[in-house]
Amino acid sequence: MALLQVEALTKRYGGETLALDNITFDVEPGEFVGIIGPSGAGKSTLLRCVNRLVDISSGDVRFDGVSVPTLRGAALRRQRTRIGMIFQHYNLVNRLSVIENVLHGRLGYKGTIQGILGLYTEEEKRDAARIIESLGLSEQMYKRCDQLSGGQKQRVGIARALVQQPKMLLCDEPIASLDPNAAKIIMDTLSDINRTTGITILVNLHQVDVALRYARRIIGINRGRLVYDGEPERLSNEQIYQIYGSEAGDLILDLRERYAA
Amino acid sequence: MTLPEPARRIRVRPLTRANLSIQATLIGLTLLTVYSFTTFDSRNIELEQAVRDMFDNFRLLLLEPRLKNVSVLEMLHQLFVTAGLGLLTTIFGAIIAFFLGLLAAQNLAPRWLTDVIRGGTAFIRAVPTVLWVLFFAVSVGLGSVAAIIGMTFHSAGYLIKAYSESFEEIEPGVLEALRASGANWWQTIFQAVVPASASALLSWTFVRFEINFSTAIAMGATAGAGGIGFDMFMASGFYLDLRELGAFTYAILAFAIALEWGATRLKANLGPQRH
Ligand SMILES: Nc1ncnc2c1ncn2[C@@H]1O[C@H](COP(=O)(O)OP(=O)(O)O)[C@@H](O)[C@H]1O
Ligand SMILES: [Mg+2]
Repeated sequence: MALLQVEALTKRYGGETLALDNITFDVEPGEFVGIIGPSGAGKSTLLRCVNRLVDISSGDVRFDGVSVPTLRGAALRRQRTRIGMIFQHYNLVNRLSVIENVLHGRLGYKGTIQGILGLYTEEEKRDAARIIESLGLSEQMYKRCDQLSGGQKQRVGIARALVQQPKMLLCDEPIASLDPNAAKIIMDTLSDINRTTGITILVNLHQVDVALRYARRIIGINRGRLVYDGEPERLSNEQIYQIYGSEAGDLILDLRERYAA
Repeated sequence: MTLPEPARRIRVRPLTRANLSIQATLIGLTLLTVYSFTTFDSRNIELEQAVRDMFDNFRLLLLEPRLKNVSVLEMLHQLFVTAGLGLLTTIFGAIIAFFLGLLAAQNLAPRWLTDVIRGGTAFIRAVPTVLWVLFFAVSVGLGSVAAIIGMTFHSAGYLIKAYSESFEEIEPGVLEALRASGANWWQTIFQAVVPASASALLSWTFVRFEINFSTAIAMGATAGAGGIGFDMFMASGFYLDLRELGAFTYAILAFAIALEWGATRLKANLGPQRH
């Protein structure tokens, strides 16, 4: 059975902005999906409908058999613990240490008082330390996050998502603020996680070349509508034009040819 | 190459409504000041004598301080009573303001609630502390209890505004990240909002303590709240002893400097670390 089922998903902001227009697709466990589209297409909104950071206007989203649109309170929080999220701007608490930020990923599993006081079990701490080490951050474990580089911060963001022991990671432009080296490390890390742990990954990217290289399935969005859903190899030039509009499409194809050569 | 001669002078400051009204206000105030000087009634005052007297008094006050009616120990005790009044009302105010400040922050609470609390605290702040003390004195009588309640009231109003604005400074993405991981509201507050705004909260609390300390002196002199303010009131109004008043002034000054030093040290420890 599909892990994520999106059915006729529509999202309006206020009365007028139609951010997502009747989107339907399924994601099987273990997939690595790249979501591409120009800025303002609705990529971020799509991810936020899956973990219900925004309310859904109509249609259905089912994750792991649970219908998301009507979830509230504790049930919604329990659902969110199973989905990790990674952000363009990392969204760490800069004043806290790496391990404190990583352990935030456990809050959804804890009672209010334990969460408030930051009382984590030894097992949770061991798990966090192991993940921090596996991402090459053991030397930074007790550093404050405002002392880290962008690439390191994003790895802390990934670690925070992983301690949730999620079934799926939602990544919203994870490399948009990084230099090419750091970007490659992050994409390789996500790819590794997907391959070794089988965690399903949905990643928003505005760089088509990166999406084509890493994703094994591409979803193209333009103005809230799904305009492509399939393998990266079958993504034709016309379809890139369709996703990005003609002028941007030219530029992207140009890059693609140079990259292929 | 020579630049072409500019046709018109280039204005650096745009001629906006705000700039115009600032200029109008300044000109108005200047005219008022000049006018008020011309209307002073100075018939019975010998200017030379008055200036000499004033410097004489300053000399007594600042250069020849000494205690007479109270001992040093007594003075220190009264100073701590006053500081205690300032500290107590700051702490009470801070505790109330922490919780109401969360509910007054637009990124943490629904709009109707923040509007209600902001409206209420704006009213509390608009009325001066002294009036709140007198207001509560109606029900509990003039004295330290009225001073504590009134000062707490105004401190809370002040700190709710300051705290809630500090809470609103947090990056929205950080709140979103914790919500996305399944954390609830209280967990998000204590794991993200409080650590991110701790040093701002601390500075505001210190600023308020300094205000409350000086208010506490005034309350001792006028509202029967005791402390060094009452001794100063006695020295200046009852014994007419400027030298003793000078000693009290220096004691307060020393205490205020010590306070400032402590605040700076504390903030340095909490502020952003350098490599
Ligand atoms: N919180 C919001 N309120 C109103 N409109 C929004 C909000 N978030 C996004 N939008 C609008 O929805 C559309 C899709 O935005 P977004 O999902 O951020 O696109 P993308 O991530 O692909 O750049 C845009 O037109 C954007 O202006
Ligand atoms: Mg986006």
